[in-house]
Amino acid sequence: MKFSESHEWVRVEGDSGTVGVTNHAQNELGEIVYVELPEVGASISTGDAVVVLESTKAAADVYSPVSGTVTAVNDGTQDEPELVNNAAEGNGWLFKIQLNNPGELDSLMDQAQYEGFIKGGR
Amino acid sequence: MKTALYEEHENLGAQIVDFCGWQMPLKYEGVIAEHMAVRNNVGIFDVSHMGRVEVEGPQAEEFLNYLSTNIISGKKDFSATYTVWADETGGSVDDVIIFRIDAERFFVVVNAGNRDKDLAHMKQHAANFDVRIRDRFQEEGILAVQGEKAEELVKGIFPGAEDLGFMCFMPVEWGGAQFYLAKAGYTGSPGFELYVPNTVIAQLWNTFLGEGKAYGIQPVGLAARDTLRLEMGFALYGHELSDSIAPNESVASWAVKLKKDKFLGKDALAKKAEASDKRKQYGVLLLDKGVAREGYSVLKDGEVIGTVTSGTQSPCLQQGIAIVLVQASLKAGDQVEIQIRQRLVKAEVVKLPFWKAEK
Repeated sequence: MKFSESHEWVRVEGDSGTVGVTNHAQNELGEIVYVELPEVGASISTGDAVVVLESTKAAADVYSPVSGTVTAVNDGTQDEPELVNNAAEGNGWLFKIQLNNPGELDSLMDQAQYEGFIKGGR
Repeated sequence: MKTALYEEHENLGAQIVDFCGWQMPLKYEGVIAEHMAVRNNVGIFDVSHMGRVEVEGPQAEEFLNYLSTNIISGKKDFSATYTVWADETGGSVDDVIIFRIDAERFFVVVNAGNRDKDLAHMKQHAANFDVRIRDRFQEEGILAVQGEKAEELVKGIFPGAEDLGFMCFMPVEWGGAQFYLAKAGYTGSPGFELYVPNTVIAQLWNTFLGEGKAYGIQPVGLAARDTLRLEMGFALYGHELSDSIAPNESVASWAVKLKKDKFLGKDALAKKAEASDKRKQYGVLLLDKGVAREGYSVLKDGEVIGTVTSGTQSPCLQQGIAIVLVQASLKAGDQVEIQIRQRLVKAEVVKLPFWKAEK
């Protein structure tokens, strides 16, 4: 698993990635009430705001940590947005993406680096 | 700035945020959990960032009646009245609650963000009346205890609370201090507010939490305070009321009594009431997924007619709700659209409140 500074994670198998937000992120956001997912087939650049997570208090953008094409979205979050809170790094995944350039993963943090990053209070 | 209960909030694990310069608890367990605790059981709020101002003297009643767009004169002793204060241009200065002890002794509870402004406003106009203004900002805090079971809890600590009518208050003594207990609140669930000296407020907060365990009490933060008041369609200054939104353009227009004798802002408000392009606020229920937020555009038949002043997902209704300020005359059942980023989401005008207690 790799992590971005904006608290997204990506889990990669070959050139296919699954993306979600971290447990730290869902805790900061509070109870999610709606998840606005992208279209399957959408072409994404790194840093694009791809998903919107709505809580009672605010709407939060989720930025893609990698570029590529959206191959699947987690429809389960439509009826059960709380999946994102309860299983942010598992069943609360948001979308799957065919990576354009697996080399992009090198500029992301690994688990240990991410944990250090959030402890640093950023 | 911190209230006298700041350490209590830290100990309870609250997420602290800045609100108008105050370090306040946004939430403890979670917004929806706290919201439902109030609706189903009882919740306790620290609202000490709001303020109490004493107004006393031979012309206290006349003075407060002059400042207010609602009728203040002639009310009963130990009753409380909600009102919006307007300025000469018809803008809203603040919405406040005025408590009458007797014809010459009142106190006013004002919003946190407007404490200094309201005090200056009062002092400026008090120059023309035989009246003394004394704020209790440094000495006191304010607690709100709200919910289905609030009365059971409160009467156990303050006997006689069960006899208080809505918007009535009484003097109480506790912990060696004397203060006031009111049957009032901002949540729409039955409840009380207490205006408590800082010398005993932490003790009282913890007493409520202890005695309240049997009723499922939870501490409630500012985020749930907002979802609760929004379910009732209550105005929040800075959203539904401001210096550019007149009281009679807002959801609080029911409290504006234009026929009153001379009061501050009367002429400007009368002009607004007669204008052909006047604005009004309505409650809307979203018919599709989405959360409307302040500033989003509101459309009817493809034309922008106004904006959202407040919006959220209602925990009780599990639907999006919003208050909109529009230049249009609408009625319950009318359909509008809210621009939520890329989507136009259908919404229906409804009579407020969005949520009602089951009898």
